[in-house]
Amino acid sequence: MISGALRGLRLAGWNGAMLAPALALVGVFVLIPSVVTLAGSFFAFGITSSAWRFVGLDNYLQAFADPIFWVALRNNIIIIVGSIISQVGLGAILAAILDRGIKRGSTVYRTITFMPVVISSVAVSLIWLMIYDPNVGALNALVKAIGLRPPRLGWLGDPSISILMMLVTAAWANVGFQMVLVLAGLQAIPKELYEAAALDGARGLKAFWYVTLPGIRNILVVGILITTIGGLKVFDFVFVMTGGGPANATQVMGTYIYLQAFTLGNMGYADAISIILLLIALALGVAQLKLSRRG
Amino acid sequence: MPRFRIISIALHLLVSVWALFVLAPVVWMVLAGFRTRADIFTQPLGLPKSLGFDAFVRAWNTGIAGFILNSVLVTVASVGLIVAVSSVAAYVLARSDHPALKWIYVLIVASFAVPAQSVLVPLYQIISGAGLLNSLFAIVLPYAAYGIPFTTVLFYAFFLEFPRELEEAARLDGCNRLQVITRVVLPLSGSAMASAAIFQAVFVWNEFLLALLLLTDKRIKTLPLGMLNLRGQFSADWPAIMAGVTMVTLPMLILFVLAQRYFVRSLAGLGK
Repeated sequence: MISGALRGLRLAGWNGAMLAPALALVGVFVLIPSVVTLAGSFFAFGITSSAWRFVGLDNYLQAFADPIFWVALRNNIIIIVGSIISQVGLGAILAAILDRGIKRGSTVYRTITFMPVVISSVAVSLIWLMIYDPNVGALNALVKAIGLRPPRLGWLGDPSISILMMLVTAAWANVGFQMVLVLAGLQAIPKELYEAAALDGARGLKAFWYVTLPGIRNILVVGILITTIGGLKVFDFVFVMTGGGPANATQVMGTYIYLQAFTLGNMGYADAISIILLLIALALGVAQLKLSRRG
Repeated sequence: MPRFRIISIALHLLVSVWALFVLAPVVWMVLAGFRTRADIFTQPLGLPKSLGFDAFVRAWNTGIAGFILNSVLVTVASVGLIVAVSSVAAYVLARSDHPALKWIYVLIVASFAVPAQSVLVPLYQIISGAGLLNSLFAIVLPYAAYGIPFTTVLFYAFFLEFPRELEEAARLDGCNRLQVITRVVLPLSGSAMASAAIFQAVFVWNEFLLALLLLTDKRIKTLPLGMLNLRGQFSADWPAIMAGVTMVTLPMLILFVLAQRYFVRSLAGLGK
């Protein structure tokens, strides 16, 4: 009896010791900061000031009345929707072609398409910053070469197209990842299914619709969720390529939080926007769990 | 079969167009490093006139060697910490049926959903309050914290499928709990560990936001900050900026092409 209790205690001590480092790190740098952010969102305070002034829901009301907050949120949504269409869409099409459409060179195509995934996002941003540059950029030169006129304010300087230009860069960087994801799913579909479908008269597009699509449904859901969460958290491309400009036109939630907290020093306000971002992310996380459980 | 031929050619063409679109900026980056400022300004699409390494020297002298060293140290330490801490935690979670552990697992999964963007203010306050701003040691801890949830979930799934008979056999042979892990479980988990390590290494190596927030001293900066530094220092000297980016990126690309099988398997494992 006593020895059993002792063994139980030792087991608890052992489990605790094995879990402690993970819990300590996640607790100190993820969970506690989330709670502190929530608390801070009800106060007004700056980077250096130790005085926290309670302001209730003012920071949230300020956000809802702040046109730049809505621009940032809208840009996140544009990036999410645009990325799902361009990255998941193109990735799935390319994967389908590599899986069954072509016979030679699929490894070479896969390697090239996947390559940008390992390039740092800052390097990607700098390369594309130069391509879009109005003076030395390749895009201006190419557009002029075919007799068209490039945008007067520059590809990134024109607020109406700068977000689109970022979508192109993001697609360049991420399509390969989506393609490989879908390709793995396609290769897991048993060949017999296609043979059975062919016996029933389903070939080509019909086979794609009735065999391929149901077979990769779960993978597509995962790809869409990864893209959605990535679009919500986007920071590097925007920060390096435009810094949120011109005139806040390309601001996203991530860069706006950074601007408010560390450039303008409105940390309480930044916390309120952070909590809004966190709530959206948690909702997406729950959706991910629900959807992956069904699959 | 002429119709089939036409479709096949069209499909090849489609993937080739995308492959060209991906390759062109990389080639352009390498070539730009060999050109001169004046030349690139008058003829944006031209080729280098000579193979001069001036721009590479200018870029290297901004301290790229130091940035590389910092990035290597931070990546090795973070990935080591992530794999070590996550594997033991996941093992306990997968092997014990204590009711409290279920809640701990839920907590770890939930923390996976927290974006770094939404905890920037307290993270900065914790690190600066502890006097750890501008320390390579300090940035390893949040990197580990953000890598642990995903890696733990990954290992948890792996250990659930790990054959328990092997562990029981080792226990019968006189191994204690720790020895079962170090002598039986870990040596047989190599491929899962390698996958997780590659995935986290790519993430840490390229991480920008937390580095921007926590590392402001030039001597301590990692590569993404070092590359941004090129832009700040050279503003319109694009050959030097691209030479710097090339020196940082090309070795990674070569490493990727040589080991692409492992990279692809590791990163695509996300879909499972």
